[in-house]
Amino acid sequence: MIHRMLVDAAVVAAGIAAAPLMAEPEVAATVPNFRALDMTGKVVDLSAYRGKTVVLEWNNPGCPFVKKHYGSGNMQKTQAAATAQGVVWLTINSGAPGQQGHMTGPEAQKFVAGAKARPTAYLLDPKGLVGKGYGAKTTPHLYIIDGKGQLAYKGGIDDKPTADVGDIAGARNHVLAALAEIRAGKAVSVPETRPYGCSVKYAS
Amino acid sequence: MATVRFGLMALMFWLFAGVAMAQAPGEQHVRIDLVAESDRPAPGSEVTLALASVPEKGWHAYWLNPGDAGLPARAEWTLPQGASTGDFRYPVPQRLMIAGLMNYVYEGPFAPLVTLKVPADAKGAFPIRLKLSYLVCTDAICVPGKADLSTTLQIGDGSVAPDRRARFDAWRAALPKPLGSEGTYQVTGKALRFAVPFPAAAKAEGEGYFFPATHGAFDYAAPQKVVRDGDRVVVDTAGVKSVGPIEGLLAFGKQGFWVKAVPGTVPVASGAAPAAQLPWTGAVLAFLGAVLGGLILNIMPCVFPILSLKALSLAKANAEGGSPRAEALAYTAGVVLVCLVLGGALLALRAGGATLGWAFQLQDPRVILVLLLLVTGISFNLAGLFELSAPGFVNRAASKGTGGAFATGALAAFVATPCTGPFMGAALGAALVLPWPAALAVFGGLGLGIALPFLLLGFIPPLRRLLPKPGAWMETLRRILSVPMFLTALALAWVLGRQAGVPGMTIGLAAALLATLGLWWTGLRQRKGKTLAWAPAGVLLLVAISAIAFVQAAPAESKAVSGAEKFSEARLAELTAQGKPVFAYFTADWCLTCKVNEKAVIETAAVEKALADNKVTVLVGDWTDGDPVLGRFIERHNRAGVPLYLWYKPGEAEPRVLPQILTQDMLRDLASGG
Repeated sequence: MIHRMLVDAAVVAAGIAAAPLMAEPEVAATVPNFRALDMTGKVVDLSAYRGKTVVLEWNNPGCPFVKKHYGSGNMQKTQAAATAQGVVWLTINSGAPGQQGHMTGPEAQKFVAGAKARPTAYLLDPKGLVGKGYGAKTTPHLYIIDGKGQLAYKGGIDDKPTADVGDIAGARNHVLAALAEIRAGKAVSVPETRPYGCSVKYAS
Repeated sequence: MATVRFGLMALMFWLFAGVAMAQAPGEQHVRIDLVAESDRPAPGSEVTLALASVPEKGWHAYWLNPGDAGLPARAEWTLPQGASTGDFRYPVPQRLMIAGLMNYVYEGPFAPLVTLKVPADAKGAFPIRLKLSYLVCTDAICVPGKADLSTTLQIGDGSVAPDRRARFDAWRAALPKPLGSEGTYQVTGKALRFAVPFPAAAKAEGEGYFFPATHGAFDYAAPQKVVRDGDRVVVDTAGVKSVGPIEGLLAFGKQGFWVKAVPGTVPVASGAAPAAQLPWTGAVLAFLGAVLGGLILNIMPCVFPILSLKALSLAKANAEGGSPRAEALAYTAGVVLVCLVLGGALLALRAGGATLGWAFQLQDPRVILVLLLLVTGISFNLAGLFELSAPGFVNRAASKGTGGAFATGALAAFVATPCTGPFMGAALGAALVLPWPAALAVFGGLGLGIALPFLLLGFIPPLRRLLPKPGAWMETLRRILSVPMFLTALALAWVLGRQAGVPGMTIGLAAALLATLGLWWTGLRQRKGKTLAWAPAGVLLLVAISAIAFVQAAPAESKAVSGAEKFSEARLAELTAQGKPVFAYFTADWCLTCKVNEKAVIETAAVEKALADNKVTVLVGDWTDGDPVLGRFIERHNRAGVPLYLWYKPGEAEPRVLPQILTQDMLRDLASGG
C-alpha cells in the first residue's frame, strides 16, 4: 500500500501541471520543466540540471521494442556512454497503473538492477503528466535537452524501426550521434526523427 | 494486489528470459495466408497476390502509416529470376484512439494486395517466398510477429477460378481508388487545412476522414472537420509542419480515395468563409433584398395593424413628452436582434449538419425538394389559401407603447414570425444555401426592413400623416405578390427535374400537391373557426417531406455524349472485329479531371460532330462504384484509375492511350483518321 501511495504522490509536475492534452516542445524551443519522484522516492527536478545535457528516455519493460534494446544491451551501452560524458540520463515510465509496464518504485529498482541499466534516475510518471507534456508517444521515445534547456533532439533511438535485435548492428544510433555533435559544439545534424515502438500506455 | 504483483513478476521473468525466445505459432495473433489470384499465371503477365489476414479478436494490425505508434508490416520477397513485385496496396483502415494516441489499424479481416510481374521466359514451377515482419497489438500490449509465407504457382494459361476471382474482387473493392486530381494543404501555426478536388455531384456517404500516409504534416490524434464545399472536400485539423508533397487516403465510410497533395494556399470552406472573402456585391444585394422584403412585410395584413397601433402609441408618447426617437431605436434593435438570433440558430443547425455529413448544397435534389415545398406553401399563403395569424396578445402588447419598446419590438418580431412566414421562409431558404455572413446579413436586413417604417415615423413625425389607411388594397397586393413566388416554385421544379430526372420531378410535384391539399384543408377549417385547424396540414406536410427518401440524383449516364454506349469488353471486341474505330473512355462521378474533360472536350458540339461524321463508336465505362471488371480492364492499360481514354484505330492491334488532359483538336484529328 505504501507503494501505491508513493505512486499516487509521485508526480508533482511544476511547469506542466494538469496538462490534459498532448503538448510537444519543438526542437530548439525551451522545454517545459517537471518534477517527479524517482524509483527510490526522491524528487527529481529537471531545472536542477540546467547547464548539463539531459537525455529523456521513455520506458515500458514489457514492450517488445524496449526489450530489443535492453535485451541486447544496446540501451544500457548508450546510457553508459552518455553518463560517462557527464550527460544526465532520465528514464521515465508513464505507464498507468494496471497497464503493461507500469511499475512501483521497488519493482523499478528490481528492473534497473536486473537489466544493469545505467540511468542517472528512473522516474515514475503513472499519471502521464511528464509524458503528455513532452508528447511522448512510443516506448522507447528519446529527447535530448541541451545545457540551455532547449530541445536538441527528439525521436527514435536509431534509424531501424523494427523489433529485431539483428537490426541494431547496422543502425545509426541517433542519440549517441547527437550527443557527440553537442559535445563538439556542432549543430545536431538529425534533430528530429519519427519515434518507433509500442504506444505509451497512458491512463485512458 | 497479490495477483498483480505475481503478474508483474511473470512479466519480468519473460523480459529477462531473453529476446531471442522464438515465438510459438499460437502467439501470432493474426492469421496470414498468401493467395494468388491465378495459380497458373501466363508468362509475361501480371498476377495479383493477396495477404489474406485475420487478426484475432481484440488484436489489431497496422495500416502502412501506423499513426502515433506501432509499425507497418515489412516484406522481404524471394522470387524466381526476372520476377518482381510492387508496393502493397492497403484497404481503407480504421481509426483506433487509445489514451490520446491515434492508431490506424485493422481490427477485422483485411487483405493488402500486391502485383507480381512474371517474366516472359518463365515456365514450369514458379515458387514465391515472402518473409513478413509485422506488429500486432491489443489496446494494452504489442507483439512483433514474423511470418514465413510461400506458395508455388505453375506457369500456365493465366486462368482464374471463379471463386478466387470473387474473393479478389471483394478485396479490390475495399482498396482506395486513385483520385486523379492533386490536392493542396496549408499549415498555419498549429492549424492544417487540406483541400481535394471532388465533384459536388459525386456521392459520398459516411463520415469523412483523411488518413495521412506521409508522416510529419498531420497531428494524427487531432479531430478532423471534413466538409464538402462545391467541387472540393476541405479538411480542417491540427498540423505539425509543411513537409512537401504528401499522400494519403480520403475515406467516406468504407469508400476510400488515394490522394496526392502539395503545400499551397487553401481557401477556407465557403460554409465558414469570413466576410472579407465574400463577393461584396452578392452580400450587399442579399442584404438589400432582405431589407426590401422586411419593408413589404409591413403592409402584410397581419403586421400592418401592429405598425398602425405602434404609430399611434408613438404619437401619444410624443404628446406626453416621451422620446419617440429612443423608442423607435429600441424597437428597431429588438426586431433586428430577434431576426439575427433566429438566423444564428438556423446557421448553428446547418453547421451541425455539415459535421454530420449532410451537404446543404443546391446540387442536392433533396435540398431542392424542401425548397420547392417551402416556396409552394408561401405562394399559396400569399394567394390566400390559408392564413398565418399572429396571436392576439402581440397586438395588445404592441399598443402599449410605454412598456419597453425594445421588448415590444422583440416580441413583435418573434411572435409575429408565423405571420411573417412568407419572407421568413425565403430567408430560411437563403440561410440553407448561403455562406453564413451573407445568411446573417439576410436575417439582419429582414429585421431592419420590418423596423424601417417605424424608425422613419419616429424620426420624421410628419410622415405619420402620410401613413396609408389599412384596407382592401392590402389583400390585393398580397395576391399579386404570390405570382413571383409561384414562378420561383416553377423554377425549383425545373431544377429538380434537371437533377433527379422526370421521376424525381414527378415525386417533387406530387409532394407539393399533397402539401397544398393539406394547407387547403387547413384553410377551410380556419374559415369555419375550428380548433386544431393545422392538424391536416401538419400530417400531410410530414408525408410530403418524407418524399425526400425517394428523390435521388439522376444517374450520370444521361450526361454522356449522344450515341455513346455502355462499355463492355464483349462490345469492344465485337466493334474492333468489325474494323470500326472506337473511342472508349472511363470516368467516375468523383473524378474532377474526368468531368472537366467531358464538359470541355468530349461533350462539345464540335467533337460530337467529328465523332458522328467519322462513325466512331463511343463506349463509356463508369467506374464510380469501383466495378472490379472495369477496374481490371483499366489496370491492364497501366492505369490505377480514371480518367483513361483509349482510341482503337482500325488495323491497329493495341489502342492508343490518350493523355489525361484532352483537347478538342486531339479528338477531332483522331476522328478524321489523322
